[in-house]
Amino acid sequence: MACLSSSRLCARVQNKLLCQFGHKVRRQTVFVKLKPPGPSPLRIFGKTCQRVTTCGPACGTGVYTTSATRRLASSLQSTSTGSLPDYGTQIVDPYRLLEDDLNGIYEDIRTELEKNTNQSELNTIATYYFDGQGKALRPMVAILMARAVNYHVYGENSALLPSQRQVAMISEMIHSASLIHDDVIDQSDFRRGKPSVNVLWNHKKVAMAGDFILAVASMMIARLRSDEVTLVLSQVVTDLVQGEFMQLGSKETENERFAHYLTKTYRKTASLIANSVKAVALLSGADASTCEVAFQYGRNLGLSFQLVDDLLDFVSSAQAMGKPTAADLKLGLATAPVLFACEKYPELNPMIMRRFQEAGDVEKAYELVHKSRGLEQTRFLARKHGAEATRLAAELGDSPYQKALVVTTDLVLNRIK
Amino acid sequence: MSLSRLRNIVKCDVVKASASSALVSKLLGPCSEIVSTCTIQRRNVTQQNSKPDWNRAVSEAEKIVGYPTSFLSLRWVLSDEIANVALHLRKLVGSNHPLLKTAKNLIYNGKNNMQAWGLIVLLVSKAAGHSPEIPDMEQDKAAGVLYSQRALAEVTEMIRTSHLVHKGLVNMNSRQLTAAEPGDMMFGNKIALLSGDYLLANSCTELANLRNQELVELMSSAVRDLAEAEFLGERDEQNNPLPSRPVPEANWEPASEWDCILDPLPMSGVEGCLQREWVARHVLAAGALLGKSCSAALKLAGHNSELQTQGYLFGCHLALAWQAFLDLEAFTGPEPASFSLVGAPLAFTLQENPDLYTYIEAGRRSVHDVDYHALYRAVVEGAGIARTVALQRAHEAAARRLLERLPDGDARAALHNIIGAMRHDL
Repeated sequence: MACLSSSRLCARVQNKLLCQFGHKVRRQTVFVKLKPPGPSPLRIFGKTCQRVTTCGPACGTGVYTTSATRRLASSLQSTSTGSLPDYGTQIVDPYRLLEDDLNGIYEDIRTELEKNTNQSELNTIATYYFDGQGKALRPMVAILMARAVNYHVYGENSALLPSQRQVAMISEMIHSASLIHDDVIDQSDFRRGKPSVNVLWNHKKVAMAGDFILAVASMMIARLRSDEVTLVLSQVVTDLVQGEFMQLGSKETENERFAHYLTKTYRKTASLIANSVKAVALLSGADASTCEVAFQYGRNLGLSFQLVDDLLDFVSSAQAMGKPTAADLKLGLATAPVLFACEKYPELNPMIMRRFQEAGDVEKAYELVHKSRGLEQTRFLARKHGAEATRLAAELGDSPYQKALVVTTDLVLNRIK
Repeated sequence: MSLSRLRNIVKCDVVKASASSALVSKLLGPCSEIVSTCTIQRRNVTQQNSKPDWNRAVSEAEKIVGYPTSFLSLRWVLSDEIANVALHLRKLVGSNHPLLKTAKNLIYNGKNNMQAWGLIVLLVSKAAGHSPEIPDMEQDKAAGVLYSQRALAEVTEMIRTSHLVHKGLVNMNSRQLTAAEPGDMMFGNKIALLSGDYLLANSCTELANLRNQELVELMSSAVRDLAEAEFLGERDEQNNPLPSRPVPEANWEPASEWDCILDPLPMSGVEGCLQREWVARHVLAAGALLGKSCSAALKLAGHNSELQTQGYLFGCHLALAWQAFLDLEAFTGPEPASFSLVGAPLAFTLQENPDLYTYIEAGRRSVHDVDYHALYRAVVEGAGIARTVALQRAHEAAARRLLERLPDGDARAALHNIIGAMRHDL
């Protein structure tokens, strides 16, 4: 309860600040050469922001700054091209940096699942989403953080622990298990550019396949033999379900709505990333404050990721996403762009309350969001969390992995799918 | 907390008196009217074919370990999510989503109710005692069990309930689904899936809090086994199980050894041999969870791994004896409208007379299309019932033998009583 009310407070402050700052963002789009969105003295995101950092990341700041500024010009337009900016040689693509670690991660997950069943149909359904077509964001971030923290604690000669790679696999498995259950709940048709599980198989079996993946993931967690890691990762599962429950009801008032949305977003998306990077930090043997840095990095990255996701639901094409767009509206969900748009167009309020169920609601809301500054404000909020993640990453010792953590926040902000 | 919520809880207490499960009574709070009508029907049925032995055995056993489970703890009743489910469940009243039936059965399905499972885990815990090294702080002295074992019993019930709730989904991919109520069905599925996930997530947290990773692994493997059980063998479009086509004994593949606990159950030699299929199905769907819970309870008490394995076997045999007993229930009173197609009596009958399999094939689309009357006659006229009784006795005897390994005492006697209470008048 305490956490909820504090975040509620946060959201109110955010709302105010955003109104103030929204203006500034717009100016930045016009004057491209303005100061890039570096870490700001605003201390409303995350608990650990005690220090006010005035400089950007310790290394590669120059390249980062110019590319970030260049990108800023285009990223505020609703159809961002999103191709990876030219980082030069100093900044590494995290996926390339971790190529060896990530190589075969889906195969390993499939092997683990296969080992745990003698029912071929269960194996088919359970491994369906582990086809290597996903972004593997969660495993990537987990391994990246593992290597960055290992480097931070043990220096240059540190290696990735097998247990940390296991956590990377587990994070993707928990994610997929929740996707599978989401598919049954939402009756979606497509995911990742192919028919979703609920279209192809018996829903009862699909639900069981989700339970199965979770059970196998729990067994893998238990085999790490760390009480702390098990506690941290079991929290993820609880958060996911509670987030799902929050999505079910919309009893909250207009004032509470944004806080409700942020808490839901944390539980449904950010908790998994935050707690899995915390778990790898724990396994590394890092001290409590480093684990907290890792956790807050993951939390901010996760929030920024989901905000961008909610934004893309309005601006991206169905083809690029591999799933239908305006899907959230069709499901009756009011995400950040709608909640922001609501300030300018109060006629959205009744639509939100009836979950866009009347004929024409979805189209009307879609149009109003585009007419308002909702998309811009959402992007701004996403960028704030990204900047906070960048600031936190800078607290870790300088290493290629630590730099890649910074690049990852950019990747998340500028993705097109 | 709001007053209306309090009132709701008080109202639930009425239901709780008979159910003693706060969670489900709260689930059903809003739809008590349908429940109460069902109770009357139910009572008629139970008067006909159940002996007071059972109720006495269970209620005496409950006294031995204090309150039956820790499910009664207030945090369940006060949980936001459960309040939310209760609210949504109200919308489903009047639809025929199976979730309502699942919830109802959890409370009123006399012999198959869920707190009996937690009860057995606690009785095994008390009967076996615990190592002297365990600090007093961690013991529930009055009941003679450890607090960790009580938490485990709760986990067992949560896992089982979660599985039953997930089993109660409707397959919306089926062709036979009536177009009249897709909205209700979809909504019911959503609630069922989320409620089950909620219980599963809570059991994860509860297990993590026990800070014993071997135990987490063991119990997670039981969740895996339950999921596997739903894929075994032939299914109709709503995933109701059908027996596989019987193969003559001469052509049976050799069965593999089942000495695995953490590994998944091997399936070689199961298909076509209906007795083995029956055992495999119910080990996965029931025995694994009960067995692993008993084994885990002994692990918590600091017993050696040999006794833990005995505990696992005890749970498996007891679950199989119980299942055989439940399978027989359809054949004790007047002819029922339908009965389990994968019950032991029918399995024996089909194996004896493979021609009957044509009746089963009629149920590929839906088990409701099966001619139950014809199959009932075949079972009653054949040796299926007698062989099922023998099967039940064999598992009972195995369970009793394992019980003798534990020291004599009131908890062990209560377990014997429960086994002894599984009797039908045939």
